[in-house]
Amino acid sequence: MKKTLPIILSLLIFSLPLMAGGAQEEQGPMTLTVWTHEDPNRTAIEERYISEFEATHPDVTIERVTNSSQKMPELLLTAFAANEGPHIFNTQIEDAYAYIVNGRVGAVDPPSAGYKSVKALKDAYVEGVLDAVTMDVEVYGLPLELTNWAPYINKRVIRAAGLDPDRDYPRTWEDIVAVSEKIILRDGEIITRRGFDFRYPYYLVSMVPMVEQLGGQLISDDGKTAIVGDEAWLKFLRFMADWGPFGKNLGSPTYTNARKLFDADNNDMAMAMSGLYQEGRIRADNPEFYESGDWMVIPFPQFKDAVREAACAYYGHFYMVNSQKSEREQKASWEFVSYMLSHPEEYLTEVGLIQPTRALMASKTFSDMPYAQVFADDMARGSMVYYGENSAKIQELIKEAVEGVMLGGIEPEKALASLKVKAQEVLDQE
Amino acid sequence: MKKKYSGIEKKLSRWGWTFVTPALLFFSLFSFYPIVNAAYTSLFRKKILSLKPPTFIGLKNYAYLLRSDDFWNSIRATFAFTLGAFLPLLVVSLLLAVLILSVKRGQKFLQLAYYAPAVLSSVVAAVIWMSIFDPRGLGNQWLNFLLNTPGTDHKWLADSFMVQLSTILVYFWKYIGYFVVIFIAGLAAIPGSLYEAALIDGADRWQSFWRITFPLLKPTVVLVSVMAMLQCLKTFSTQYLFVQSGSPQAPINVITLNIYNTGIRDHMIGRSSAMSIILFIIMLFFTWLQFKTTKADEVSY
Repeated sequence: MKKTLPIILSLLIFSLPLMAGGAQEEQGPMTLTVWTHEDPNRTAIEERYISEFEATHPDVTIERVTNSSQKMPELLLTAFAANEGPHIFNTQIEDAYAYIVNGRVGAVDPPSAGYKSVKALKDAYVEGVLDAVTMDVEVYGLPLELTNWAPYINKRVIRAAGLDPDRDYPRTWEDIVAVSEKIILRDGEIITRRGFDFRYPYYLVSMVPMVEQLGGQLISDDGKTAIVGDEAWLKFLRFMADWGPFGKNLGSPTYTNARKLFDADNNDMAMAMSGLYQEGRIRADNPEFYESGDWMVIPFPQFKDAVREAACAYYGHFYMVNSQKSEREQKASWEFVSYMLSHPEEYLTEVGLIQPTRALMASKTFSDMPYAQVFADDMARGSMVYYGENSAKIQELIKEAVEGVMLGGIEPEKALASLKVKAQEVLDQE
Repeated sequence: MKKKYSGIEKKLSRWGWTFVTPALLFFSLFSFYPIVNAAYTSLFRKKILSLKPPTFIGLKNYAYLLRSDDFWNSIRATFAFTLGAFLPLLVVSLLLAVLILSVKRGQKFLQLAYYAPAVLSSVVAAVIWMSIFDPRGLGNQWLNFLLNTPGTDHKWLADSFMVQLSTILVYFWKYIGYFVVIFIAGLAAIPGSLYEAALIDGADRWQSFWRITFPLLKPTVVLVSVMAMLQCLKTFSTQYLFVQSGSPQAPINVITLNIYNTGIRDHMIGRSSAMSIILFIIMLFFTWLQFKTTKADEVSY
């Protein structure tokens, strides 16, 4: 007994992988699983698309599972690591890229997705937006949304500070500082009303473009060098040090997220960076403020001495299909994804998501959305956020440098030197 | 020479195995197998999403970690947290247990009150404390009132020292009740006749505590100290949620957080497995050291 029990236990444990489920039959009914992040407005319309699709495809059942957006990357990763990923999923491009390079997702099947060819598919979208999911001519994902940010302004707070929002709104980062200094209220060191504040965890999206305006780069054009253009990075780091509690004390990562305060219109946040989707959230959270017209959206500021124009980077969520599923299931999956995405105007009006098809961007529905043109113009001046298997690590290193100068009192020169060494090491490991 | 078992012994042995088997199965599946698997994986260069077979690299993951400033910072952060949380947890929970047992009324209520935070989810606990540590939150208001420093931002989540202190405070608040309950169980097991005898011999309460309670409570002290130390070395959720909410990572980048980031965020599962094996060895060593130095089993009533 003493000997046989450990043997039985070991056999049980090591035979676990053999018990994993396999692919479905090549004929007959099939069930497609869709994993996506929580969004009540989107759930409402996508549940309807599922019913409509199932009605026209009686052999297909679709199971839609939602998880919190923060948990999604982790859940997907563990599911795929165990070769048990869903048929269809969406995730942000910084995370999705690893699935493409590791062959975990299948290429779009143009006929199943309703296109004659890959070229016809690419032509349907705004130029460049599919580059992030294109590899060796094939396209590996279709955009659920493409988002960029611009500053939202609460005109009431601007007026309360004695400024005219239509005339005095900030055009440059230096204006942002000057306007913030006029608006800010403090109780000793503690800020009780902020003029503007950054979206701190998202350094790649909103801060790398600031460096690019000054002539710097995150990664060199040949992809071999990280953190290019010392002067640009230093000026950016000095700007952020000046912004933080040891400088002009205009904001800090540890205050409540500016975007969350903005909707409430409690005279504590004048300007916050967000996407077009924020309009729907203001309308839902504070209809009186939304209807008042006392808010506006302005273009992404530039530095006064910018050497190139750069707006906020845009990031995307792409629908992708698991390459480990059978060919039949993959085709059905692309057919369903493409059916959902054939309603871009409804996604825009009901959920506030931009699906960057040429048709949508040229539509009246898009131009009728308040300030949609501001976002469209900024998107034309911006570029896709840096994506790669190491993007999260690179973002953490930029966070460390920025927060080091803002909160830790580290000299910008020292923070830059450390950032360069660490980012290069990460890049060299790829 | 092999011992021969009689009929009754065989029968008892069979029943013994029957009762132990579920626990063994559970342990093998959820503890032993992951440890063995992690030790094996740590010898490979393995990306979690890659379909290619992992490359065997021997001890290179360990060599990399021992040269890595980032990993040594994690060791530092883990030990700073463990020392900061473990000692106050041990001492204060013992004092509170003695205090609770000495009050005549409301013992159950006090136990419940201290234990309540332990049943809260870490996410809820972190959300409560994040609002306290917000620059406009209660943390600054209380401290400024106590120190008479109006308008000072103590940077609970921003300053590298304060953010470490904040994680220790949250952890202390969350787990103090758990250890208090264990100490109360240990104290209740000490026979009352010993105190009566000491009282007759003229001992005061202070002498009773140091001469009777403390020595006889040694097994419980060792149990609590080992449990508290292991819990502290494994701390993760508070640091994870603080970093997610904007705190700087480096001061609180404990080993478990580094394991998570390396494995899940950076997809390097081989390297993160090596980290977890190093953490396992550290925990094993300190547990052995505590048992060795305290000789917990040398107590009799």
